[in-house]
Amino acid sequence: MKKVAVFLIPLALFLGLIIFLYQGLFSDPRDHQSSLLEHSMPEFVLPDLMNVEQTYTQDVFVGKVTLLNVWGVWCITCAIELPYLKQLQEEGKHIVGLYYDQDIDPDFGIKTVERVQQEVTEKLNQLGNPYAFNIFDVKRDLSLDLGVTGAPETYLIDQQGKIRLHHIGDINPRVWNKKFAAIYDELVAQ
Amino acid sequence: MNRILATFLIFTLGFFCSQALATEDKFHFEDPEKSALFLDLTKELRCPKCQNQNIADSDAMIAVDLKRKVYELLQKDYDKQQVIDFMKQRYGDFVYYQPPVNPMTIWLWLLPALFVVIALAGVVISRKRQAPQINDEQLAEAQAILERDE
Repeated sequence: MKKVAVFLIPLALFLGLIIFLYQGLFSDPRDHQSSLLEHSMPEFVLPDLMNVEQTYTQDVFVGKVTLLNVWGVWCITCAIELPYLKQLQEEGKHIVGLYYDQDIDPDFGIKTVERVQQEVTEKLNQLGNPYAFNIFDVKRDLSLDLGVTGAPETYLIDQQGKIRLHHIGDINPRVWNKKFAAIYDELVAQ
Repeated sequence: MNRILATFLIFTLGFFCSQALATEDKFHFEDPEKSALFLDLTKELRCPKCQNQNIADSDAMIAVDLKRKVYELLQKDYDKQQVIDFMKQRYGDFVYYQPPVNPMTIWLWLLPALFVVIALAGVVISRKRQAPQINDEQLAEAQAILERDE
């Protein structure tokens, strides 16, 4: 009996350790729950990227299921993602861009808006424009309130203006089917 | 040789000075206490993008933005815990290097303690077991042997 225990206890501990470490091989360190899920969109007042006279607030998301896509022309993955977003938009999805500019340093002056607009127009003409409109996050404050870590990132927002999903990285058919499709369809059906 | 050393010194000193100046220029505090708090916080907050750096070390845009936010909040007289809570609200527990104690993370503290206790218990038990059992008969025998040698 004792001999069996002496053999089995270390074996069990070892197997436990192996399973624990093996799982680690497949875990994504970037994958951590967003703390804003099920929260309403943070409050903001920001201009439209193409027409800075017009401003939006968090209420702009009420009444429609929206994909809020954080992007910028300087972001390479965003450019790869754009054609697929365009396809989603053609399928009837409501996609809003949250645009922020890397070169704008709030501490030292600001790149002209015209310049940013021109860059964006060029990029969208080239790759297709999936956005109903773009919110211009001038000082990246909304991005910070949303817990954005970089671009691209996408939020799924329900009709009540609540955040239901936060995806870090690009959206492609695999990610859409695995992560978005079920929740999106459910929200639209409501 | 001396020349090389001098050049080297000037370069390294220059490097450190410019770094110190750069931080002071960008985030200037009137109150030295706040300045210290700012340095503390930027060391303890973790960059959400570049995972194994604090925001003081990282040059990622998000780290720069977070530093600026910390500065802003300190200027608004937030205390340390309020700044940490502000960040946690947005970026989760992940953003602060000290993990919270909850049923999931308690094992980080319990497991090592448990390990020490079990190991100590094992040592004590095995020692007790190996301790020689001596009875009067054996003692008498040993005494006899000793006496015989004399």
